[in-house]
This record gives sequence, structure tokens and C-alpha cells, in this order.
Amino acid sequence: MASDIIRLAVDGIHKGFPGVKALEDVSFEVRPGEVHGLLGENGAGKSTMLNVLSAVLKPDAGEIRIDGATIRPSSPKEARAAGIAMIHQELQHIPGLSVAQNIFLGRPLKTAGGLLVNRRAQERRARELLAELDPDIDPGRPIHELKVAQQQIVEIARALLDDAKIIAMDEPTSSLTPSEFDSLAALISKLSGQGVSIIYVSHKMDEVFQVCQRATILRDGRFVATVDLAETSEDEVIASMVGREISAERHVSHAGTDVVLRAEGVGDGRMIRGANFDLHKGEVLGVAGLVGAGRTELMRLIAGIDRMTEGRVEVNGVERRFRTPREAISAGIGLVPEERKKDGIVRDRSVASNIALPCMKRFSRAGLIRRAHLRREATSLMKQMNLRPPNVDRPIGQFSGGNQQKVIIGRWLAADVDILLFDEPTRGIDIGAKSEIYDLIERLAATGKSIIVVSSELPEILRLSDRVVVMREGEIAGILSGDEIDEGRIAALAIPQSKSRSSKQTAEPVSQP
Amino acid sequence: MNTTSDTKQTGGRRSFLPAAINLRDAGTLLGLALIFIVFAVLNPVFLTIPNLLNILQQSSINACIALGMTFVIISGGIDLSVGPAAAISAVAGAALMTAGVPLPVALLGAVGTGMLCGLFNGCLIAFAGLQPFIVTLGGLSLYRALALIFTDGNPIFGIPPEFRSFINGDVLGVPVPVLIVGLIAVILWVVLNRSPFGEYILAVGGNQEAARIAGVPVARTKITVYVMSGGLAAIAALILMGRLGAADPTMGNLWELDAIAAAAIGGASLMGGKGSVIGTLLGAVILGALRNGLTLMNVQAFYQLLATGIIIIVAMLIDRATRGRA
Repeated sequence: MASDIIRLAVDGIHKGFPGVKALEDVSFEVRPGEVHGLLGENGAGKSTMLNVLSAVLKPDAGEIRIDGATIRPSSPKEARAAGIAMIHQELQHIPGLSVAQNIFLGRPLKTAGGLLVNRRAQERRARELLAELDPDIDPGRPIHELKVAQQQIVEIARALLDDAKIIAMDEPTSSLTPSEFDSLAALISKLSGQGVSIIYVSHKMDEVFQVCQRATILRDGRFVATVDLAETSEDEVIASMVGREISAERHVSHAGTDVVLRAEGVGDGRMIRGANFDLHKGEVLGVAGLVGAGRTELMRLIAGIDRMTEGRVEVNGVERRFRTPREAISAGIGLVPEERKKDGIVRDRSVASNIALPCMKRFSRAGLIRRAHLRREATSLMKQMNLRPPNVDRPIGQFSGGNQQKVIIGRWLAADVDILLFDEPTRGIDIGAKSEIYDLIERLAATGKSIIVVSSELPEILRLSDRVVVMREGEIAGILSGDEIDEGRIAALAIPQSKSRSSKQTAEPVSQP
Repeated sequence: MNTTSDTKQTGGRRSFLPAAINLRDAGTLLGLALIFIVFAVLNPVFLTIPNLLNILQQSSINACIALGMTFVIISGGIDLSVGPAAAISAVAGAALMTAGVPLPVALLGAVGTGMLCGLFNGCLIAFAGLQPFIVTLGGLSLYRALALIFTDGNPIFGIPPEFRSFINGDVLGVPVPVLIVGLIAVILWVVLNRSPFGEYILAVGGNQEAARIAGVPVARTKITVYVMSGGLAAIAALILMGRLGAADPTMGNLWELDAIAAAAIGGASLMGGKGSVIGTLLGAVILGALRNGLTLMNVQAFYQLLATGIIIIVAMLIDRATRGRA
């Protein structure tokens, strides 16, 4: 199976975005029939690497070779034609169409005349393909009626139809049950037996060790190592994933003793279960965890955006039940959302209007907005926050991500909320604006605001937090404070371990700030 | 990956213009001026004071409906039920008037009926989460049916003469309907541009989820615009009733389309988040002037329809070209 022939060679790939180097000189090789893990923390560059492989992104430098020949695909379609197929985390199919129609999407089998789609031939060919993979899948059924695991198999069938030499799978098990994972693993080994190479991206160490022979580890966009998993321990892999130097200085704590926000057994009946934590006045509470661990979902429950189905929330000692964000805001809680474009800004409205939304009353008299007053207040607020350009009449959509973020934060300062929830506050923001936002968060804590920061970037968590809540698979896996806060402990709590799939341990170390 | 960057989009187009000047309204005004010039050249009667007042008078009913429509469209919705809502309001008002109820009460009854229609639409949209197009399409049949059932399909005559002479009167030569709609427009301009509710409508239409997270009362905002639309439909119905002297349950057929056309010509975006009171007024006058001018020139009604269609499409093409990507 694994031989010394190279099927796929990735050689010196560089890819940068404005202000960020997503990939720097990444090289690795995949052999025919090899299952090759691609590992790294959130933001290490895995998805960028996959996007380069499938030609969604064009690398700035470096080359990709298949069987020794350099390929330069300029579109995902060309990448597929060259032999690289991609199975996305979010499966990409058209819900109303049948399994066979989805498999042949974009390249239908025609009838003799070439005008009509030959559905019968498509179904026959689909049945042949699926017979090897999962004979239970009926090619005539609408795809949305299948289970997610089966939909995934359909995507694999689609890849095989293209004669894919390399199939890249991005977090393929994120919505599979353990037994579905077992069948996927069996299927993967079957494919590899037929000489198809698999690139397997996952956070779950036990899976990686079960299905992959070798793995390439990325960190901060750089190649760390390609390891033979038979000769490497899980701890060694995790260590090389997270092992960066702790760079930033820790901030000065302004945390008091008053509990301003208390969550007890908070859950949403779907993803979040039994979340308990306290937030103190002036504290910065970090929330770490892998993507999909439920951090955003927990913040949305606290901010009244999604409905809490279990547990209780106390604000300043009073139990509150929020049915709308508006009610949470009036209790003094504001959220700076992760997806600024979708959840944060009203693009065509001015900076001033975006700031005033939660607190129109403050800027109105006798039912009318005092425009001059609003402009003055917004201007002075944005001057403090160094908005560039400092024009509050301009539509917010014309500002950069970092400046939009300042406006959203300014909105909550204008509304004078006491509790600020930041969800990935520096996502998509260039480095200069990043440190401004860090400084701002620290200044807010110093003035007695209480703050929660959700972040996938550990240095950010380490730099900002007084205490750190670590989430894993919808639960709070532990709360770290003081000297307990380090990358190793956070990673150990965040990454689902092989043995302890029954992660019911309610780790809650003593946590006085 | 966390590397999406917005920095590239900052080099804003037309950022050199002060936001206060509404370019779009200026464009609509220019279009109106062009139409005026063309007709003035073709027909000397067109540009006389009586004819201009006539145009305003003829445009007032559509303008009234279109103003309500504009608010609904800005909020990201659509109200297809305005015509039947107008009919049912007219019928209710006329029934009250002929039953001897004091005139002001009957008028309130009519406007209240229209607002109730809007409340029904709004609640289904805001609370049941149904799509505005479908809800108001249902309303379109429902309110028309109720109006027909209530009247057995017959117009109600016997509208009090004092109401008729009020609607048909004028102040210093300006017809009362024009004054009524003008007053409404002033109020609505203030509401849209100077009140928190106006900001809420623009925010809900621009980005509903962001507005909700920012604390905007989304449900209340949506319901209110439909109630307004229903109420304005009722006022339009009262104007027509006063002019015709009867309340016809078939009144208001296709009013929704003229109203949408006026709002769209005036710059309202069916995607929501954009629209202007002045623009919609100009849009209604453009449509009115077009019909008036073509009628003066004895152009067949078929061609008037053709011209209306062309104007709408040309307006949208210009809109698209000047605004860049929608």
C-alpha cells in the first residue's frame, strides 16, 4: 500500500491575506493509497491548505505536483479534473435533487440525442458506484432524506466518478455518530486499498490515530513536521500542534469579587448542556475551545439571541430570562458577534446610526432623534477609539473590518452596558487593529466593565484573560485561573481524548480570580 | 480559517460625497423633469397650472398607497393586499356613514379597518414567520372576498355630501387630496428620517439579524409598517370614495402594482434597507404625469401601459448603473 512513490507533492506553498500570513513555506508529500492526516489548531492553516489544494485559493508561491507533474488548477473544477477532490465539512449538494442527480450534477449523462438527461443511465451508474460504498443508498431518493453519513458517502461517490486520485476530507466526522465513524473508517481503508490517497483533517486525535498512517502538523501557517503515527504518541502530536512560545505579556487583573453574571446549568436542548460559570466585576473571562465546541452558542444564549431551555442566568444577583436580545441589553449585556457582516453591522447605514441602534432613547427627545447630539457623541466616542477615517456619517460598510469592530464595540459603550461578550473579537482584523482592540478590552475592564472573550487563538486568550473557561463538545470542560492557565492545560481540556469519549467529568477547579 | 479580510472593500466608491445629499432623489427628480420637458414640448396644455394640479390630484391616491408601500419595502417586506384593504376600508366607512354614525367616527372606522388588515398581515409575518409576499397575497384574496361578501358585490351609495364636498374642495386652488397626501408625506418624512422608528425600519430591512442583536424590536417594527400600510390604504380609499360618491367593493384593483412601481422608481430597494419618502412621491408623480401627458395627446390606453412598463424598467436600469452593484 504505502510505497515510496509520491502521489501528491506540496512544495513550498505560501499564501498571505492582508495583514496575515496564512501559509508560509508549507511542504509535504502523500503517497498513493496513503491516509495522511493534516493537523493543527484552529488558525494553523489547515483550511487554507485545503483551499489551495482544491484551487479555491491561489497560492502566492510554491507548487503542487501530482505523480511528478506540476498542476496549476485555476478553479475547483480544474483541480477535480487533475485528480483532487474535496469533501467539505458542510456537504455541498442540492437538497431537492436525487442522489443520482447530485452525483452527476454539472456533468449529466445524456440520452442518445444529447439533449435530455438520461436519468435511467445515471441511476444505473450511481447504483454501480454506490454498491461498493454503501448498497443501502437508493440513487433515486432525494438526497436530503439521507442521513448525513450517507450524504457524505454520496460525495465520495461523486469524487470517485471523477477518478479522484486524492480525496481531501475536512472534519468529516463533525456530525457523525461513533458507529458511523467506524463505517467511514472502513470505507477509507477500502479506498486506500484501491490506491486512492486521502488527506484527513480532524481535531479528534483518536480518529486520526485510527485511520491515518502519517500526519503533517501545521502551526501558525508553518510546517512543523510530518510524523509516522505508528511511532508517535498522541501527546507528542498535541505538543507539536500547540508548542508555540508564550509571547504576549499577561495583563493586569482588574477583577473584583462581586459576581455580575452567574450561569447555572445553562443549556439549549441541542448543543449546550449544563454550563456553570461566574463572571466578576472588572474581570476578563476567556472562553477557549475548538471550533464547534459550543462557545458561540453559549454566548448567544447569554445574550438572549437564542432561547435557553434549561438552567438560569443571574445578572447582579437577579434571575433573568431573556426572550430577545433587547431584554438582555436592558439588563446590561451586549454581544460583539463573530460574524460582523451577518450579525453586527447594518452595512448601508452610517456609523452614527449603527452606534445608536440599541440606545435610541438616549439620543432622542420628544420622539425625535437629536441628530446633532448623536453625531457629536458618536464622533467623540469614535475619536477615543481611533476610528479611521473619523467620519461618523459614512456608511459603516465602507470601513475596514477592524474599524467596523470599533463601531460595534462603541455601540455597547454608548448603550452603557456593564457586561460585554466578545466572540472572536479579532477575526478578520489586521494586526495593527488587533492590538488596539486588545488595549480597548483592557481599558474597559479597568473601568469596571465585565468581559467575556471567546477566542480560537490561544495567545489572545492568554494575553487577555483573568480566568479561562474551556469548552468541549457543548460542555464546560474546566475553568482555569491564575497559574493554571497555560496552553497545555487548555489544549488538554479542549481536545476530545481517545479514551474519555464519555466526557461527563465536571471539572471545575476552584476559581477565585 | 480566520483570515477573511475586509480591508479591500474600504476604498469606498462615492465616499467623497457627503452622505446628507441624496443623490438618488436628485436622479428621480431629473427623470421627472425630463418627462415634463418632453410633454411640454409636445403639448402646450401640459405645462399649465390647472393641468399640473390635475396631475398631482391624479397621483395623490397612488402616492398615498405608495408611501405605505415604501415603508413596508424598506423593512424588507412587500404588501400586495393594499387594494383589497382599501376596498374593505371604504366599504366599512361607507356602511358606517350610511348607518348615520357621526362622520369623524365613520372615518376612524374606515382607517381602523385598514389598520386591522395590516395588523393581521404583520402578525402573521412577525410572529408566524411567514413570508410577506405570501401572507399579503393571501390577504389580497381574503380582504377582497370579505368586502364582496359584506356588500353582496354591490357598491354602497349615499356617501354624505359634506364629506364629498370636503374631498372635492380645494384650498387656494390646491385640491384637498393633494393637501392630505402632502401632509402625510411630511409626517412620514419626519418619521423615516428623524425618529428612532425610522432607524429601526432601515436597520431591519438592511440586516434583520444584526438589528435584532443590536436590540431593535424587530417584530414590533415589522407589524407597525404593515399597520401603517393598511391605514394609508384606507385613507386612499376614502379619497377615492369622496370623489366617486360610492364605496365599491371592487375598488383598488392592481393598486399594489402601481404603488410598488412608484416606490421602486423612487429608489426603494425590494431587498430592503433602502427607500425614500421624497423619491416615492416623485415616482408617483412620474407615473401620473406620464398617464396625463399621454392622455392629453390622445394616446391609446394600451400604449400608456406600454410606456409605464418601459419607464419602470428604464428607471431600474439607471438605478443599477448609478448605484453600482446592488
